[in-house]
Amino acid sequence: MAASLSSSPCAMMLVRNVTLLFGMGNHAARIRVGKGDRGVTYEQALHPHHIGHRKGWLSQHPCNLKGEEGAADRALEDVFIRRFMFGTFHGCLANEVVIKRRGNLLIVCALMLQKLPPQKFYFLTGYTESLLSHFYKCPVKLEIQTLQKQAVYKYL
Amino acid sequence: SATPDSTEAIDPTAYHYQFQDDPYLSPRTSAESKLYSMSQESGRAAAKYFVDMYPKYFTKDFAEPHIPCLMPASVALSLEEVSEEALKERIGLRKVGAAVEMYDQLVQAGTPISKQMTYDLLDLICFYGDREPAQEGEPEADQTELRRKRGRFHRASDTLRGVWRENNNAERLFRLLPEREARCYSAVIRGMVKHGAFAKAFDMYTDMLNNRLTADVDIFNALILAVPEMREAYTEKVDFITDLLNQMSQQKVQPNLQTFNNVLKVLRRCGALAKSISLQTLSEMKALGIVLTNSPVLPSLCNHQCLETKDMKLGYKVQSLVGVGDNWRLLGDSYQQGMFYYRFFSLLCLMEHVDVVLKWYHQLMPSLYYPNPQGMRDLLQALDTESRLELLPSIWKDVKTLGHDNKSDLVEELLSLMAREKHSPEVQESFADCALDIKAAFDVDRRKPSLEWSPLALGHVTTLLLRAGRIPQACEALLEDFLSQCSGAPTTAVELVKLSAAFCLPATPQLAQRVLLEFDLTEDQRSAGHIANRTRTQTDYWNYWNKYYQ
Repeated sequence: MAASLSSSPCAMMLVRNVTLLFGMGNHAARIRVGKGDRGVTYEQALHPHHIGHRKGWLSQHPCNLKGEEGAADRALEDVFIRRFMFGTFHGCLANEVVIKRRGNLLIVCALMLQKLPPQKFYFLTGYTESLLSHFYKCPVKLEIQTLQKQAVYKYL
Repeated sequence: SATPDSTEAIDPTAYHYQFQDDPYLSPRTSAESKLYSMSQESGRAAAKYFVDMYPKYFTKDFAEPHIPCLMPASVALSLEEVSEEALKERIGLRKVGAAVEMYDQLVQAGTPISKQMTYDLLDLICFYGDREPAQEGEPEADQTELRRKRGRFHRASDTLRGVWRENNNAERLFRLLPEREARCYSAVIRGMVKHGAFAKAFDMYTDMLNNRLTADVDIFNALILAVPEMREAYTEKVDFITDLLNQMSQQKVQPNLQTFNNVLKVLRRCGALAKSISLQTLSEMKALGIVLTNSPVLPSLCNHQCLETKDMKLGYKVQSLVGVGDNWRLLGDSYQQGMFYYRFFSLLCLMEHVDVVLKWYHQLMPSLYYPNPQGMRDLLQALDTESRLELLPSIWKDVKTLGHDNKSDLVEELLSLMAREKHSPEVQESFADCALDIKAAFDVDRRKPSLEWSPLALGHVTTLLLRAGRIPQACEALLEDFLSQCSGAPTTAVELVKLSAAFCLPATPQLAQRVLLEFDLTEDQRSAGHIANRTRTQTDYWNYWNKYYQ
């Protein structure tokens, strides 16, 4: 069937390599170069093919090793945790949330802006830790570092 | 070599581990530390509220083994059928209401229940006073407030401990028991004392004696605790205690550590008369060879005593006791903890060499204890006695971090100590820097309520600046001093501005600004002031001089 397709006159319209078409291409997690007024963090500036070379991983768990199960469940948990953190600490997240799993422990590391007074941070921390522990039935710890303003790596 | 034990010590330079390790989120003063830990607690309470409100989102149980404390409250029980196993589970999970319900159902169904189970249930009900156990840490906020307000008033403890209701489940169960052993009486009496039904406890005790049962040591401990509520006068209380102790020896019951703890606790409330008796008790305890490891009253009592008798060795012993294992819990809430460390630290400042004092200061400082102004003053005195005044600038830094830089007497004392004598040049330099820093603390345009300049403080600052050769700053300080002295005399103030402009001092604009703001001036004076405000270069000064000095 593929052979008959390629020999037909409309085969010229079918393109093998997707990137040759205008407007399409790899767009995942990439901020394209623009006027130069938009500040991006290191995480945003480096594209996904740099993961493992110039970037680390945002989520660490052993489920992708050989013989381990549960990778899909972990991925789903990660998505929920990121949305939860984004919503709970609204406007305060300076960078992507890093999720580490050590045994049963779930550690959520976040870089925050100093938009709230410290007691509000502690309220939200206690709330998040407790709620996520009850949700995932495992101890959840939050490690927060604060910044005055977002750490810009370069301007695109 | 690093053994596991050596890596296990508390890091004295770090704040408590419950706080995030970030400079913005670290508590610098005791008030902040309390605020942050309370906020965290209330965050947890908020989460618990949501978990209990919408349990259907939290019921999926994939923890292996099952973790009951992470399930919503209504779903924690797994066994539903009416059986002794279910009763045992409820007792184990401390579900008081559910356990009583299960027991009633079992009795109605006629199932035989073992005696041990019934006694366990009675213990549970008496321990919690027939109400659900409060979550750990949650009512702590109210407890500390109440305890502080209580002070000498014991009657207000009802709201704190809960009231032992009439004919509650414990009493009902007790009456239903076919045979009552000493253990049942023990449970009920201790429950009554814990929850405030003191008279009833004593009635139960006489009842027990009438039934020819011997009380055990726990019953006596509970009764001793109940003594202050039963008698008013100090002497009567002491007599009552001795009476109880005599009965104890008659019934051949050996006192244990808890007995002595309770005696000491009660004697604390008996006023000064009790001090001698408490010392006697302590020596008796030593005679009986009871190991003083786990007594809750001892730290504060001993501390108080140490301070009065200036006994340093005892102070160290108490401090080391507190460091052992779980004993830190015995220090009570943060207020009592603060008092404990304050007393220990002031004793240290009085008695010990300043190097030891400093060593303890650095060990206690951010991790365990935030000194209050009086504590800082004791430290200053210790430094003065041993003439280690070169450490004063670092002490000022700590004072600022602790938020005590708005306490005028502390700052003045610091300044007077620095300015008292001449020191070597490097020390003078550091003192001058410190003085400038302190001066900045007095500035009017800070957000926090700032201090009022006192002439003494200003004089000290000027002296320190002059000694280090910082003449412009010294002049500035002097002028500011004069300006604050001539409040209500605008002409003098204007003269002052003129003088400073004549000497081309860089402080002129500032002074002019202050004068314009704080004094009522005539039109000429005001315009002169505006010009003085704008003097920046030599030509400006020359123009000013030309205009107003001709």
